[in-house]
Amino acid sequence: MSYAVLSVPDFALHALRRSDPELCGQAVALVAGEGRKARVAAASPEARGIVPGLAAALAMSRCPGIVFRRRDPAAEVEAHRLLLGAAFTLSPRVESTCGGCCTVDLRGADPARTEALMRLVAVELAGTGLPARIGAGATPLLASYAARCAEPVLVVRDPRDFLAPLPLAFADPAPAQAEILRGWGIATLGGLTALPKAEVGRRLGSEGVLLWERAAGETLRVLRLVEPARSFAAEWAYEPPVESIEPLFFKLRRFAERVALELRGAGFVAEKLSLTLLLEDETDHRREFRLPEPGADVEGWMRVLNAHLGTVRTEARVAGVRLVAAPARPPEKQDGLFDAGLRDPASFWENIARIAAIVGDDRVGTPALADTHRPDAFVLERPSEAVTPSVEAPVHPPCGPTLRRFRPPWPVRVVCDAGSPCRLEGGRLEGDVRAALGPWRSAGDWWKPQAWAVETWQVELAGGGVYQIACMDAGWCVEGILD
Amino acid sequence: MPFVELHARSAFSFLRAGSLPEALVAEAARLGMPALALCDRDGVYGAVRLHVSGREAGVRALVGCEITMEDGSVVPVLVATRAGYRGLCSLLTTAHLRAEKGEGRVAWRELAEACGGLVALTGDEEGPLRRAWLERGPAAAAEAGARLAGIFGRDNLHVEIQRHRVAGEERWNRFLVDWARAGRLPLLATNGVLHATPECCGVLDVFTCLRHRTTLDAAGRRLAPNRERHLKDQRAMEELFRDLPEAIANTGKLAERLEFTLANLGYRFPDHPVPAGESQDSFLRKMTYFGAQQRYGSVVGEVRRQLERELALIARLGFSGYFLIVWDLCAFARERGSLVQGRGSAANSAVCYALGITAVDPIESKLLFERFLSEGRTDWPDIDLDLPSGERREELIQEVYRRYGRRGAAMTANVITYRGRSTLREVGKVLGFPDDTLDRFSNLFHGGDLPQTLELEEQLRMAGVSDAHPRLRALVDTCRRVRGLPRHLGQHSGGMVLSSGDLDQLVPLENARMPGRSVLQWDKSDIEDMGLLKVDLLGLGMMAALQDAVEICAQRGQPVDLARLPKDDPAVFRMMQEADTVGVFQVESRAQMSTLPRMKPQNFYDLAVEVAIIRPGPIQGDAVNPYLKRRAGEEPVTYPDERARPILERTLGVVLFQEQILRLAMELGGFSASEADELRRAIGFTRSQERLDRMKARLTVAFRENGVSEPAVEYLIKSLASFALYGFPESHAISFALIAYSSAWLKVNRAAAFYASLLNCQPMGFYSPASLVQDGRRHGITFLPVCVQSSDGKCRVDSDTTVRLGLATVRGMRAPALQSMLAARAERPFASLADFLRRTRFSAAERRVLAGAGALNGLADHRRSALWRVEAFQGGDDLFRQAPEAGEEALSPLERMTLLERLQADYRHLSLTAGAHPMRLARPMLADVRTAGELGGLRAGERVRICGSVITRQRPGTAKGFCFITLEDETGLANAIVRPRLFEEARLVINLEPALVITGRLQNEKGVIHVMAEEIAAMPDLGLPAQASHDFH
Repeated sequence: MSYAVLSVPDFALHALRRSDPELCGQAVALVAGEGRKARVAAASPEARGIVPGLAAALAMSRCPGIVFRRRDPAAEVEAHRLLLGAAFTLSPRVESTCGGCCTVDLRGADPARTEALMRLVAVELAGTGLPARIGAGATPLLASYAARCAEPVLVVRDPRDFLAPLPLAFADPAPAQAEILRGWGIATLGGLTALPKAEVGRRLGSEGVLLWERAAGETLRVLRLVEPARSFAAEWAYEPPVESIEPLFFKLRRFAERVALELRGAGFVAEKLSLTLLLEDETDHRREFRLPEPGADVEGWMRVLNAHLGTVRTEARVAGVRLVAAPARPPEKQDGLFDAGLRDPASFWENIARIAAIVGDDRVGTPALADTHRPDAFVLERPSEAVTPSVEAPVHPPCGPTLRRFRPPWPVRVVCDAGSPCRLEGGRLEGDVRAALGPWRSAGDWWKPQAWAVETWQVELAGGGVYQIACMDAGWCVEGILD
Repeated sequence: MPFVELHARSAFSFLRAGSLPEALVAEAARLGMPALALCDRDGVYGAVRLHVSGREAGVRALVGCEITMEDGSVVPVLVATRAGYRGLCSLLTTAHLRAEKGEGRVAWRELAEACGGLVALTGDEEGPLRRAWLERGPAAAAEAGARLAGIFGRDNLHVEIQRHRVAGEERWNRFLVDWARAGRLPLLATNGVLHATPECCGVLDVFTCLRHRTTLDAAGRRLAPNRERHLKDQRAMEELFRDLPEAIANTGKLAERLEFTLANLGYRFPDHPVPAGESQDSFLRKMTYFGAQQRYGSVVGEVRRQLERELALIARLGFSGYFLIVWDLCAFARERGSLVQGRGSAANSAVCYALGITAVDPIESKLLFERFLSEGRTDWPDIDLDLPSGERREELIQEVYRRYGRRGAAMTANVITYRGRSTLREVGKVLGFPDDTLDRFSNLFHGGDLPQTLELEEQLRMAGVSDAHPRLRALVDTCRRVRGLPRHLGQHSGGMVLSSGDLDQLVPLENARMPGRSVLQWDKSDIEDMGLLKVDLLGLGMMAALQDAVEICAQRGQPVDLARLPKDDPAVFRMMQEADTVGVFQVESRAQMSTLPRMKPQNFYDLAVEVAIIRPGPIQGDAVNPYLKRRAGEEPVTYPDERARPILERTLGVVLFQEQILRLAMELGGFSASEADELRRAIGFTRSQERLDRMKARLTVAFRENGVSEPAVEYLIKSLASFALYGFPESHAISFALIAYSSAWLKVNRAAAFYASLLNCQPMGFYSPASLVQDGRRHGITFLPVCVQSSDGKCRVDSDTTVRLGLATVRGMRAPALQSMLAARAERPFASLADFLRRTRFSAAERRVLAGAGALNGLADHRRSALWRVEAFQGGDDLFRQAPEAGEEALSPLERMTLLERLQADYRHLSLTAGAHPMRLARPMLADVRTAGELGGLRAGERVRICGSVITRQRPGTAKGFCFITLEDETGLANAIVRPRLFEEARLVINLEPALVITGRLQNEKGVIHVMAEEIAAMPDLGLPAQASHDFH
């Protein structure tokens, strides 16, 4: 027993299920492909009769109520890190083989103790919603085959007997090879190895020889080991949960110091921080902070985090906290000659974070005209750190009177004659209309419940002043005055 | 001067406007507009529809077009004279024919050369002036305007001004007014119409999104700013242009100047070259009499009288050249050994019969000549030719191009409209519905659905769209508005329009997607409305199969002359009475097979009735059951009116054919021949219900005035309405019956050739090759497997009961490699597998497929042995090719395939098996399941379970939501009927599962056996190969 493989069958499906509590106990299928080509890639045990490769439509007919989901890369990364962490409890020599699979070099370990440990790890992982299977054998390949058959742990002691009945797919033939072998009636590893290796090589080439060797469990390879502390993330569970934010400050500073050190050691800086408060009610409070400038300055990070935490109110006690730093290479940029950058971007973003904490994230930003015909519609964009020079003068420079908008617009009652405004009444503006220009009409969003239509006029009052008035669903209003 | 909208676009601008031309006309008429100009993008696609509907609504339809220039700007032009129209069509043809479909651009130089008779507008937001103004300012716009003025001259350029109530537009308009006044150019007010009414604006937004491949949420300012670009009446336009009254007045003046309309197209059909001293009429007479002597022996009595009558009418109407041209095309086809037969109403003509265009003797069959041609007829009569599909038909099409030139002939267009599932999918995407919802909808309503059985809202609810979804209403409304609008232009299945060399000056031509083909911008109905002549060169799979069968029979020394088959072979009719008609033309469908045992055809005319009766027309007209009951003597033969007796006698008092409707109109309604012709057009013209309604009203009055009783009027008018849904002319039914009879005769008398030819001409017909082979086996035919030593490329008949499957049946074979192998084998047979591998040029994949399909079994012990050995072959240059040595050949470590494995390999590589049906293997595992063959011996009402591969699923529109399923097992076919409620419950299972287990009550009515389904489930997965199903709606 020199190697072990921790493998999670239908890893993508399990990763998804453990990330989404709503899927618990549901008939779920992971689908791949679009439209009519959509096929089931994996299905939960609750989805009876649904097998991989089945058309999604057929799955729907065979299992009414089945929930279709697509792969969630983020959930898979999270689950894989968990698996990797478990693998490191077996040995410090771990290979991250692929998503949902780790290979562990056990050479030198006590076999009996290791087997017991493997069973423990399998149980712990199952408890986290990741039902891993662990196989062990003389080679990484044998261990991986064993993992695919394990329930949940299998140690291969007699490779020949073990390999013979295994399906050919275990040796991972290329599609073309699989097609040929299917034609030959070869369905198991034993079936393939029963053929003369040289004859297989003559027909299927060197790739065929490699396949034959894989089927015989003969393939040896060098593990590509991974280091344990390169994830730049930290997490803590509180037992019992905490009721105030204060304990978090200390813990976060310790996290920040460690993560910043790790980043620096690897030649990285952080470009963003992600803070997650795991709450007792199984919800969480998540915030991402894009740093003004990528860096590993702990004080800068803490200013951003503290500014935010100072305003956080949660519905439930905090059961855990997670901080993740996204690594990036140190910035190498040269500002443009005419770029006007911020003198102190850190303070700027710190202030923005404080304001956002008070008024809400969706109410901070630089207003920009929205791509719509709706008058005065705008969106808030992320503030720019640098003011870029204008490109060129427009072909048609703005002309005509400037509209000074009243914010909010003034409600008004409008008396019309033959469809044209003749008098404004009520509110803050009153008087006869001497001249009216319009109407200008715009409408949009007809496909939404909030469909809108606006009719705009420009009116000159007998008492003086030219105003822009508009008629909307809510009635008439004075939008502003024209210079 | 009245205001006339001179810049309207229809949905024929393809995704640039949202209303049909008919809708624009209707709105223009409602608004009291005297004329309307349609300027669709790069074509006159909608011009005929505008013209026809305008003629009916009293709105003068003016022709225009928006021309896309080489720089991307768009110049609207209006046609003033016929010369202008011809120049415009020619210009557009030139642009379209040199570019990919939809990419035609016109050079400024070309526009200058072709602008005579055209009036240009400066255009709207895509016009050259506006583009220049936006990009480079007023000076550039003035320069662009000067170029237009230089091309068209001051008299033929109008400065187009539009007001859409959009803030800021006056700045541009001020520039236009100033520039027009400075250059003394007339101003012209238009509304740049993009939709008929404000309500259609949503469709325009959806189209905009489809064009830009975006969604409504992301489209931003690409959407319409408001709903103002609809047709507006004079008052509204005068109000908008109060300050520019001349811009309104100029619209009326310009409309008066535009003298050209499509009423005056100037089409001339080409003459047929005739020998010196002969006219078209005299030559036609000569050829007709020559042909008649061949057909009838001597031309006397009734034959002579009929020919004289027809020839006189043809000459009077000026159609002689047309008949000669079609005759010549038939002669060309026959010279090349191709079968050809006229279908449709041409079979009513003795001249067509004499010329060999049709195969039905109208005198013997007592067919109504007026259905084909009548005194009052101004349009060209239809002569449709059925040809063997494939190369032979293409050869004739290319011959037509060769004779009349690339600009003298073109295929008719087929307007593909938004409908069904794809409409919802496209609109749903634009509205931001998630893909999985749309996928679910597509899967649920597999192959489309019937709106009358399930409302769209209900369909959407089943697909997971909640009733409370905020966009549900918008989706449903938009789908309804979009349905029926043109999506793109396709190609008609065979209609070719011919002219005397100048077709491109009558209608623009474009490249079809298919190489070597060009299409014109009008569809079948447009062409008929414009009086252009169309010859349908239709490819018929069964014609190809008949041709193949005849050739096979001739090669075997058992020649068959289809024209001289005895029409009274009792074995043929016995086979039909037993509904044993798999593979027989026209009577092989489930519905036909369900009718045959009741109908019990006993002669050729019965077969024609059978062909005609299972159609939506007779079914909707409730003609089927009365006819069958009267035929069986279960109800008395009655007539709606005693005067109808001679007309309806042959069909037992029931109206089954279009000719009968026309005769009844003439005899009982006093219609003249030309009125009857008008009625014929109304029946055939599916586009306008209004037109049919008018005709129904006229005929009702006429019947009443002639003393027809009220119940009879009601019955006759109902029959008329149902024929508009699709009914056959008697002549067409007889023409099809000829083909049906020929195929049935072959099935009975030359079964091996029949099945071989059907397999050689796939895809065609109702049944898959696998089903045809199984049917053949049930008829005692042995199908020998494909074999490189014995098989030809096509299926071959080895004996009266043996068919050798052809190598072309094997999937994935390249024709050149196959031909090369056949040539090598012809030199000398293959001595061994090594010899075969050395002397052939198959790819590794092809060798593998041949081995897997068992085609190499003659050179190896078994399939696996062959598979093992072909893999060892190293292909490449001849000198270095290595094949297994002789000593090695016997060595294969692989085991033989099991029966199931062989079956799977057969279906994988051939889509069929020459051996037993897959269900035979499943039978031991299916307890309590009856075979199809057993059903006939069971009592009606018994609860049975049947199981098999689904070979057809049908939900015809006439079936009120019922679904019909045909299952195939090793003993034959079993039919099941599914009630609408059960269908909805098991919709996905029925639509998607390849094999079903159906439980229900047996129905056996006069030999017509069905299982009325009560439970439906997927067949357990036993590893059997899935068969293809043909699904129809």
